[in-house]
Amino acid sequence: MSGSKARSQPKSFILPELLNRLSNNEALIGYLFILPSLIGFTIFFAYPAIRAVYISFLDWNLLTDAKYVGLDNYRTLFSDKRFSDSLQVTVLYVLWNIPLQTALAIFMAVMLERFSTTVSSIIRGIMILPWLMPNVVVALLWLWILDPSIGLMNEFLKVVGIGKQPFMGSPSEAIQSIAGINIWRHVGYTSILIFAGLKTIPKSLYEAAAIDGAGELTQFRKITMPLLRPVLVFVLVTSVVGSFQVFDTVAVTTEGGPAGSTRVIIYYIYQQVFERQIKMGLATAASVVLFSILITVTIVQMRLLRAGESDLADYQ
Amino acid sequence: MKVPRTAVLIILVLAMAVPIMGPVQARQDVTISYWLWDNNQLPAYTECADQFMESNPGITVEIEQLGWGDYWSSIQSGFITGDAPDVFTNHLAKYPEFVALEQLVDIQPLVERDGVPTDIYYPGLADLWVKDGARYGLPKDWDTVAVVYNADMLEAAGIDPATMDEWTWNPEDGGTFEQIVAQLTLDANGNNGLSPDFDKENVVQYGFADDWPTAAGYGQTSYSVFTASTGWAYNNGLWGNEYYYDDPRFAQTIQWIADLWLKKGFVPPYEDVSGLGYFALFQSGKVAMTTDGSWMIGSYLGSEFPVGFGRLPIGPEGRKSMFNGLADSIWVGSEHQEEAWQWVKYLSSADCQNIVGQSGVVFPAIPEAADLSLQVRADAGIDVSAFTLQAAEEGGTFLFPITDFGGEITVIMQEAMDRIALGEVDAETALKEANEEVNALFE
Amino acid sequence: MTTSRQAASIQLPNLMRVHRGRILPYLALLILLFITLFPFWWVLRTALTSPASVFSHTSSLMPVNPTTQNFERVLGLIDTKDLIGEGVVTSYMSTATLDFWVFLRNSFIVSGTITLGQTFFSSLAAYAFARIKFPLRDKIFFIYLTGLMIPSIVMFIPNFVFIRQLGWIGTYQGIIAPTFLMTPFAVFFMRQFFLGLNKDLEEAATIDGASRLGLFWRIALPLVKGPILTLAILTFIGSWNEYLWPLLVGRDEDVRVLTVALGIFREQTPQGSPDWAGLMAGTAVSIVPAIVIFVFFGRKVVDSIQFSGFK
Repeated sequence: MSGSKARSQPKSFILPELLNRLSNNEALIGYLFILPSLIGFTIFFAYPAIRAVYISFLDWNLLTDAKYVGLDNYRTLFSDKRFSDSLQVTVLYVLWNIPLQTALAIFMAVMLERFSTTVSSIIRGIMILPWLMPNVVVALLWLWILDPSIGLMNEFLKVVGIGKQPFMGSPSEAIQSIAGINIWRHVGYTSILIFAGLKTIPKSLYEAAAIDGAGELTQFRKITMPLLRPVLVFVLVTSVVGSFQVFDTVAVTTEGGPAGSTRVIIYYIYQQVFERQIKMGLATAASVVLFSILITVTIVQMRLLRAGESDLADYQ
Repeated sequence: MKVPRTAVLIILVLAMAVPIMGPVQARQDVTISYWLWDNNQLPAYTECADQFMESNPGITVEIEQLGWGDYWSSIQSGFITGDAPDVFTNHLAKYPEFVALEQLVDIQPLVERDGVPTDIYYPGLADLWVKDGARYGLPKDWDTVAVVYNADMLEAAGIDPATMDEWTWNPEDGGTFEQIVAQLTLDANGNNGLSPDFDKENVVQYGFADDWPTAAGYGQTSYSVFTASTGWAYNNGLWGNEYYYDDPRFAQTIQWIADLWLKKGFVPPYEDVSGLGYFALFQSGKVAMTTDGSWMIGSYLGSEFPVGFGRLPIGPEGRKSMFNGLADSIWVGSEHQEEAWQWVKYLSSADCQNIVGQSGVVFPAIPEAADLSLQVRADAGIDVSAFTLQAAEEGGTFLFPITDFGGEITVIMQEAMDRIALGEVDAETALKEANEEVNALFE
Repeated sequence: MTTSRQAASIQLPNLMRVHRGRILPYLALLILLFITLFPFWWVLRTALTSPASVFSHTSSLMPVNPTTQNFERVLGLIDTKDLIGEGVVTSYMSTATLDFWVFLRNSFIVSGTITLGQTFFSSLAAYAFARIKFPLRDKIFFIYLTGLMIPSIVMFIPNFVFIRQLGWIGTYQGIIAPTFLMTPFAVFFMRQFFLGLNKDLEEAATIDGASRLGLFWRIALPLVKGPILTLAILTFIGSWNEYLWPLLVGRDEDVRVLTVALGIFREQTPQGSPDWAGLMAGTAVSIVPAIVIFVFFGRKVVDSIQFSGFK
C-alpha cells in the first residue's frame, strides 16, 4: 500500500520554482504561508474582538446615543449576583461535559481500531450522525425524550427498575441533563478526531511493545496516551472553549431555569440584551470577561499538556 | 413570550450596522407594510386589506406574516435598520419597551383630529395603550382565560360540566374547585384524591395542570385567576411604580397552588410541566383540566378527545380573568404616517373587525364583532361562551399589568416562583425578597 | 482422556477471562451505538405520526396513525393553504414548506466552497507554524489561538457590517467569506498533525534541495492526508449545520441554505408548542444529504488514513 505515496507526489509546477528562486529566506516563506489566513483572521476575528471591547465602555441601546461610562458596566457586572452565579453554573457545566465526553471519545476511538476498515467506517458513520443534526433540533428532540412525565427516558428507566427522574425540571439534574445532551451530539465527532490522531501512531511501536510482553492496557498507557497528546490537546482546548459557550441547548430547553440553575454565561449575556432594554455595554462587557476566562483556561491547559511538543517526533 | 436566540444576534449585528446605514429610500407609490404573527388570522386581514384598498385607491397594503419569534426580532432589528413595517400588531408585554425606545407614533392628535371614537371597544381596552396622554395603538382584539377540560374524564368521574357555573374557590381549603380537582385525580389503584387510600406518589391522572414554568410575574393563564379573585392587584395601577408581590393574600394563594403538588398530589409537579409543558400533558390524556387563554381554543380543538371550556371558579371576590388586548401601532420611522394612520383607523373600525369576527379565530375588540366570532363557533358546535361571559361580567376582568421593566420583573419573579414550586422555600419568604428586588428597579 | 480433560479444565478459566475482557468493551460500544441511533428512530417515528396524535401514546415506539402527510407538507407536495380551508390544520401546525432542491443546492455550494478554501489556507498556515521558523511565529500562533476563544456571539457584529459594506448581503460570497481563509480551529487542528510528523523525512528532502513549498506539497501534505480529509469533512458538516450566520446574511430564497429554511419552518407555528410532526419530517429530510456525503467521503477518509505514511 506504499504505492500511494509515490502517486501522491504531484508533478513539479511553476510556483514552487519561482518561490525558490525568489528567496530561500525562511522567514519570508513563513509569512507567505500564513498570509491568507492572516488576512482572514484580522478582518473576521481580531477586529470584531477589539470593537467589542470598545462597546463594553459604553451605555448604549443601539437606538439612542451612546454614552461613555468607563468601567461602570464592569462594576455593575461584578456586583450582580446573577452574573457570578452564571459563571459558577458554566464551570459546573464544563466539568460535567468535558471529562465524560473525552473519556467516552477515547474509548470509542480505541475500539474503532479493532475493527476492519469496513466495519470501522460504518461505526464511524453511526457515531457522527448526531453531529449532523442542527443544535436546535437536537435540543428539541431531547427535551421530548427527557420530559419527566411523557418522555421515553423515564419509561425506559421504569423498565430497568430505576425510579422517575426530573431531568431538566429540577435544579439538581438540569445542568447535568444539558451536559448529557451535548455529549450525545459531540462524542462521536470528538472520537473521530482522536481516531485520526491514533492513525498517526506507527503500528511498529505496538508490535515492539507486544514483543516485549506489554499488555493492551500497558500499551495504551505507555504508547497511545503519550503519542496522542498533540491531538488530545487540540480536542481538549477546542471542546473546553466550546463548552464554555454553551447556549443553544439552554435557550431551547430550560431558558436558564429552574430557579436560575442553568443560566450559563452566554444566556446571561443574551438576557442583558433581550430581557432588559438592549444593554449592549453590559452584554459586551460580560463577553470580554468570558473571553479573559477562556484565554486563562487555555494557557493553563497548554502549559499542563506541553502542547508545543510531540513525543512522536522525539520517538523517531 | 419567548424571544428566539437568533434575535439577540440580529440585534448585536445591527449594533455595528447603524453608522453605515444611509437614509431610507423614498418609495414611488404609497405602499403600507403591515405585519402580524398569527397565520390563522391572515385570511381575515387579507380580506380587510382588499376592502380598504377598494375604498382608498391611492394606498396599497402589503401584509406579511411571520412566526412569533421571527416577528419580534424582525421588528426590533427593523427599528434599527429602518426596515420595520409601517403598521404592526403590538402586544402589551412588548409595547412599554418600544415606548421607552421612542419607536411608536403617538396617534392621540390624529384620533382627536379625525374624531375617532375610542369608547366603542370593550371597556378599558383602549386605555391600555395610553401613557402620559400619548396613545400608541388602537385595539384590535382581546383575550380572557377560562377552564379547559377533557370531557371524557369528567364523564368518567360523573361530574357534570355545569358544576363549573357554580363552583367556588378560596385560598384556605380550595373550595368546591379543589374537591372536583381531587375527584378527578386518580392513583394507580383507581382511588381518587378524595379517598383516604389515595396514593399521591402513584398518580396516573391529575385533576388539574398549571402552567407554572412560564407564570413568572404575571401568571396570565396560571395563578392570576386565583390571586386576583382574592382582591389582590399586581401594583399601584397602569404604569405603576410599586408592585405588591409581598401581599399576604398573594403569598397565601401561591402557597396553596404549590401545595397542590408539593403536598396533595392533585396537580403534576413543577418538573412534569417544565419540559414539553402543561399543553402536551393535557393532550396526552394525563390531566383532566387546566386554565388557558382564548387564543389557544383552536389548539385544544385539535385534541384526540372531546374538549370543553368551563367558567372559572368563584373566588372570595368573584370570578377574575386577565383581560389582555392587542392593538395596531404605527412605527415612528414610517415614511407614510398619514396613510398608515388611515389603515390603523380602518383596522380598528367595525368594518374590519366584523370581518375578523366572522373568521371565528379571535375575539375582536368591538363587542358586536366579538359576538359574531362567538356565533360562528357556536354554529360549528363549539361553546366558547366561558371566555365571552367572563369578559362581559361586571368586574370579571383585570388588566395586564403594564409598567416599565417587564423583562427584569420576569427574570426576578421566575426565579422566585421556581423556588416556591420546587419546595425550596415557602411563598412568603421568597415573595418578600423578590418584591423588594422588583421595587428597587423603580427607584 | 484424563490428561486432556485436565488440560481443558486448566485452560477454561483462562479462556473465560480473556473472553470476558474482550466482550465487555464491545458490549459497551454496542450500547453507546444504540444510544446514538435511537433518537433518530424517534425523529422518523414522529415524522410519520399524524400531527393530532403527537402527544397521545407518547411511549409508542411506532408511528401513531401513520401518515406521510408531514413529509408532503414539508416538501410542498400539498398546499397547506388548502388544509387550512378544510379545517385540517390546527393552530399548532406550521404552514411553511421547504423548497428542498434549491436549498439543497445552496447548502452544497456554500459548504463546498468553504471547505476547499478553509482546508487549504489553514493547512498552509498550520505547516508554517509547525515547521518553518520565522520571527513572531509563536506569538502570531498564540493570537490565532485566542481567536478560538472570542465568544462567537461577538464576532457576528462587525462581520455583518463588513459584508454589508461589500454589498454581499444575500449572496453566496457573503455567507462564505468569514470562514473561507481560515478558522483558528482549522489552523490549530492541522498544526497538531504537522507537529507529529517525522522531521527526518523533511531534512533528507532539504538536503536533496527541495524548496519549502515543495516540502509542504510533496512530503508533509501526503503524510497528513488522513487528517486533512478529516478536517475537510468536519468543516463541510460544520458549515452545513451553520445556522445563525447564513440566517443573517442569506435569508433570500436564492441563497437560503437548508438549516435556515428549517429554522424558518420551525418559527412558522404561531402559538404554543412547535409543529412536532412537521419539524421532525423537516429534520429527517434535511439531514439525509449530510448522511449521504459522510457515508461517501467517510469511506475515503478511512482508506486514505490506511494508505498514508508511517510504516
